[in-house]
Amino acid sequence: MRRAVTENGKIARDARESIQECVSEFISFITSEASDKCVKERRKTINDDDIIWSLGTLGFEEYVEPLKIYLNNYQEGDIKGSKSSDQNGKK
Amino acid sequence: MEPSPQPMGVAAGGSQVYPASAYPPAATVAPASVVSAGLQSGQPFPANPGHMSAQHQIVYQQAQQFHQQLQQQQQQQLQQFWVERMTEIEATTDFKNHNLPLARIKKIMKADEDVRMISAEAPVVFAKACEIFILELTLRSWMHTEENKRRTLQKNDIAAAITRTDIYDFLVDIVPRDEMKEDGIGLPRAGLPPMGAPADAYPYYYMPQQQVPGSGMVYGAQQGHPVTYLWQEPQQQQEQAPEEQQSA
Repeated sequence: MRRAVTENGKIARDARESIQECVSEFISFITSEASDKCVKERRKTINDDDIIWSLGTLGFEEYVEPLKIYLNNYQEGDIKGSKSSDQNGKK
Repeated sequence: MEPSPQPMGVAAGGSQVYPASAYPPAATVAPASVVSAGLQSGQPFPANPGHMSAQHQIVYQQAQQFHQQLQQQQQQQLQQFWVERMTEIEATTDFKNHNLPLARIKKIMKADEDVRMISAEAPVVFAKACEIFILELTLRSWMHTEENKRRTLQKNDIAAAITRTDIYDFLVDIVPRDEMKEDGIGLPRAGLPPMGAPADAYPYYYMPQQQVPGSGMVYGAQQGHPVTYLWQEPQQQQEQAPEEQQSA
């Protein structure tokens, strides 16, 4: 949060609390849309693609591409991590 | 030979008629200081209304130019913001430690009764999405802080960011309306008649052909005091009326 304001800028406590509330509402808002999608498609589990799809649907198109890249890197890192742990186990 | 009848100007609701000569011509203005500057001579209105009108127009154009520059600057800031986010994401190597707690995110997701199960990767994506959301909302709020020449981001700055940004519509109930009133967001400016006031209580001279939507207008009231009036679309006023009655 501090990164978004200049070095000599300050953030009031009530503003900080307000942003926390907004984030909680943001999670609920996106989750609700993702959940509806799962119900329509008769699935029980909300996955990462549902979250990204919901963001795009609800006007957060700018978030989609960066998050896809992040998820891709995360999955690659996960695969690399599991491979290295397997090799360590064999030794 | 009969004297020609004096031209008449219709007041706000059309219920009462006043001589048009009783009021000066309307002129567009920007800051209130300019209005008062023209009225310091002791007379209720400037000696040369045509000259003042031109002066007001120049000030209005300057204000408009400044506003456009500010918008461009803010647009550039937002573009830069997304470039930075992309660069940051591409450079990320540590996926074990997240800035936001995954358990808390999962808990908020589970608060929805319809949610049954959540995949392991969903909170991870959400953590990053929330991080971007916080930064973007803070940046948009900070823009409002800077516009008001302050150095502390306040709750009303967040209210302003929410009001200005369409995708934040879902947050309008989170930030109370009081915060928006403090900042004068979405409300008529002071000096206007209350919403339910009778039309003849606040007479003013009205010239539609000179009117520019969104600009400030100055009308001379009967006593010779300037009344600053911000033009709003009639639909907006109708929508606001029931809300204000409810809050009162």
